[in-house]
Amino acid sequence: MIQVSIENNFASWRVAARKCLQKEIAPDEILWICDGCDGFFENDFAAEKTDEKIYKVSPDFLPLAEALVCFNDACRFSLLYRLLFRLVHENKNLLHIESDDDVRRARLMERAIYRDVHKFHAFVRFRSVNIDDKEIFVAWHEPHHFTVERSAPFFIRRFGAMRFSILTPKGCAHWNLEELRFSEAVTNQVLPPDEAEDFWLVYYQSIFNPFRLKIKAMKKELPVRHWRTLPEAALIPELIRKAKELESKKRF
Amino acid sequence: MELVRKLEILADAAKYDASCASSGAHRKRRNGGIGNAEGMGICHSYTPDGRCISLLKLLLTNVCIWDCAYCVNRKSSSVQRARFKPEEVVKLTMDFYKRNYIEGLFLSSGIIQNADYTMEQLITVAKKLRESESFGGYIHLKAAPGASPELLLEAGKYADRLSANIEMPVQKDLDRLAPEKTLVEIESTMSDIKSGIDAAKNSTKRNGDAPLFARAGQSTQMVVGATESSDTIILHKAESLYRKFDLRRVYYSAFTPIENTNPLLSEPPTPLMREHRLYEADWLIRQYGFTASEITHGARGENLDLEKDPKLSWALRHRGYFPIDVNKASARQLLRVPGLGAKNVARILKIRHYHQIKLEDLAKLRVRLSNAKWFVITADYNPSVYQLDAEKLEEKLKPKVFQPSLFENLSNAALSGEL
Repeated sequence: MIQVSIENNFASWRVAARKCLQKEIAPDEILWICDGCDGFFENDFAAEKTDEKIYKVSPDFLPLAEALVCFNDACRFSLLYRLLFRLVHENKNLLHIESDDDVRRARLMERAIYRDVHKFHAFVRFRSVNIDDKEIFVAWHEPHHFTVERSAPFFIRRFGAMRFSILTPKGCAHWNLEELRFSEAVTNQVLPPDEAEDFWLVYYQSIFNPFRLKIKAMKKELPVRHWRTLPEAALIPELIRKAKELESKKRF
Repeated sequence: MELVRKLEILADAAKYDASCASSGAHRKRRNGGIGNAEGMGICHSYTPDGRCISLLKLLLTNVCIWDCAYCVNRKSSSVQRARFKPEEVVKLTMDFYKRNYIEGLFLSSGIIQNADYTMEQLITVAKKLRESESFGGYIHLKAAPGASPELLLEAGKYADRLSANIEMPVQKDLDRLAPEKTLVEIESTMSDIKSGIDAAKNSTKRNGDAPLFARAGQSTQMVVGATESSDTIILHKAESLYRKFDLRRVYYSAFTPIENTNPLLSEPPTPLMREHRLYEADWLIRQYGFTASEITHGARGENLDLEKDPKLSWALRHRGYFPIDVNKASARQLLRVPGLGAKNVARILKIRHYHQIKLEDLAKLRVRLSNAKWFVITADYNPSVYQLDAEKLEEKLKPKVFQPSLFENLSNAALSGEL
């Protein structure tokens, strides 16, 4: 068993994986260690010259790997390496066989990343804050996976004419109208109030139709773990209570 | 009246339009502007009715000269009235958009004075958003039935989607409940919108860079259960609308008696399951190659079965079509198997290049085997398939606890911002 220490990003995993592959190290021989590079093996790798044997794998593998390294579970690196190893040594079409256990697991994890990015785009709630006479839109969001870097470009495409900062416990993204900068994770931030949010809460209550209560359907798409960062979610219990009251009146 | 009160009244009045879709539009942000559209819509929130909030959905006013019995905003309703100034809607839209609450605006209106005047008011708001605010987000405008073609053409320049509501599947229903409306007039509005879309498409082909026109197409809505019209009639109407006007979507809205319900409407509230089954059937027509006749012919009575989804019902009535061999059948055949969705069909077609598909593979793909196993042949032994012709099969497939089956496209739908 060898330990391979890598940083928590795709590039770092890729360099290490390529070297392991060249040495034909089997997947179950490697213990991937992420965060903090105290493993000895990586330094050995850096010094060592290996024959530059080029491995070609299915072009589908790269986007899959890029998504999977964002997954918030240490197993992702070993799963990726196992897939890579099997693609090279077992079946180059492996990724097409979605009923294969490894492929299936990888695809489920990939879907979770897409979903996390999607919810990132959906659930960020900016507040307009005045700092040094400049309007900056600031948000506190809690992604489940390491998706800050993957999610940030969307906000520039959409809001490139606004200064913004998105703060999360997995890292922060800042846009000053010219460049995108990432910074270290922060803990929960309390932002100053924003009047527009009051209008949003009024809208949320008014567009709700109490005659069609479907709590399960709502929770499926608006998972409870996101509620604490969404201002409108604080209204949900009361809206449900009133709707149930209405329902019971209708029955009698 | 204070803006916040107007918002309360005119959002409340707008919630009976089911559509909140924001997909299908593509627009890059203008230099210095705010907002874009990237094809896939986003649901920014959900209310406890399970509906997505993708757009700021408002009525410009709930004053209306018409008196459609099923509508909360009809002339004779005692509901409180309000009217936005165009700049108020513009401000709310921009404020909400910049905070990432919404993908854009869905603006509708009661009919003020006449169809053309109403349409002009809606256009004013859209034009201000696009031109004064350089707004690049999504705009859906309601098309007032009977508005002049010129105005519809202008609306389509600013809007990503236009929709004229058909309301009822047959004229006799409209005569009774919405006497000011005719199917002929509503469909002629749809036809004008279609001409605008087609013309823009053709000139894009020629010049490459022609002005866009309602890129996300048009949709419509039908009220279900306010009259006796059956699901068979409703689905045939929907199918003909899809064919004639290339609609992107038909929305179905279960009728609920509201406060001060018009005495013309003695119907009880429509079960939400009926609406759900219609959406499932509609999906089969649009995506799975079924026709309205196939779905409704032979169904017990004129309505869809509330206990079973329409694909399963069809399969039980057409057992001769099965069993389907998952290792040999075409995509078209596989799509007809209950419990097999479009995504899994695509996966199966790939996998079977490399190995024979067994029941175990289907399980790993999370195919709903409780439905599918009776109808398929797999590479290994599937004992269930021998009961395909058993009379008891229908019993076995009855849900033990009666609950809405989550339709396979639901998570998809959430992603695309569709209802």
